Amino acid sequence: MRLLLTLVVVFSSWSVQALDINTQRAKFHYQMHCEGCHTPDGTGAMSVPRMKDQVGLFLETDAGRNYLVKVPGSATSALDNEELAEVLNWILVEMGGASVAANFQPYTASEVGDLRVTPLNEVERYRAQLLLEIAEQRSRQAN
Amino acid sequence: MKFIDKLFERKARQLAQSSSRRSMLRGLGGFLVGASALPLLPVARDASAGPTTPAEEGDQASCDYWRYCAIDGFLCSCCGGSANSCPPGTEMSPITWIGTCRNPVDGRNYVISYNDCCGKSACGACLCQRDEGDRPLYRSDKTNDVNWCLGTSSSTYHCSSAIVVGLAFDNK
Repeated sequence: MRLLLTLVVVFSSWSVQALDINTQRAKFHYQMHCEGCHTPDGTGAMSVPRMKDQVGLFLETDAGRNYLVKVPGSATSALDNEELAEVLNWILVEMGGASVAANFQPYTASEVGDLRVTPLNEVERYRAQLLLEIAEQRSRQAN
Repeated sequence: MKFIDKLFERKARQLAQSSSRRSMLRGLGGFLVGASALPLLPVARDASAGPTTPAEEGDQASCDYWRYCAIDGFLCSCCGGSANSCPPGTEMSPITWIGTCRNPVDGRNYVISYNDCCGKSACGACLCQRDEGDRPLYRSDKTNDVNWCLGTSSSTYHCSSAIVVGLAFDNK
């Protein structure tokens, strides 16, 4: 039992280190730049989409992965590229739940920097289309 | 069955001869006190690591109260609610404007969520406009000039709360 606990502690700290997330800083940036609309646990409200247990879906396609950076709340935020990459990775780890694969590829500052140059203008239809594509890809993989 | 009765009788007598009732009470008392203190220890450590309900002072019905440094609206403390809660008959918006304020008691900066209370017409008491960190309307997530009754069934603004949601991150 003690060995198991030790392994859990070692592996959980290892995964956070590998992601290079300063949890306190990322949470603070989430609070200051995201939480006002996305709510403290990412549940969302009214027209603000739910991220909790769902946000990882977008990583299943390239367009979806790019969407999380190009969405105006990310792309035009006052966070610099490193901070934005960190807070996105933190959201995925902290709120994504089972929707995020354990071996997901974390965002990097340079990737975020390239993508946020062209933010989305229209979000809702684009998002609905993305989710449709992700659902279609899933059904193709299942067959 | 008789064998078990005999065994327990013998063991009970041995125990009674080798120990006093006071020692049993002492042991049991020590165990109860120890057990009640044990679960408190990690909780106490956690609280000292990052207080989200800090030691504070001041009048929540006064615009000078530290948490109101970035507020723009009627204080719920003057409208039948408090800095943390909405007046009866109103609904707290989950979508909020967030800023940081320095707590004069411990000198630390805290993240404050200014959740609007919605569903009744404007309270009209204790208008407070301090606006630290307020940005123009084109930074919609950082402006307090908009009505933040965005996640409630009614968009009618009544008053503003000021809830401590965490410690600000210190880069130093």
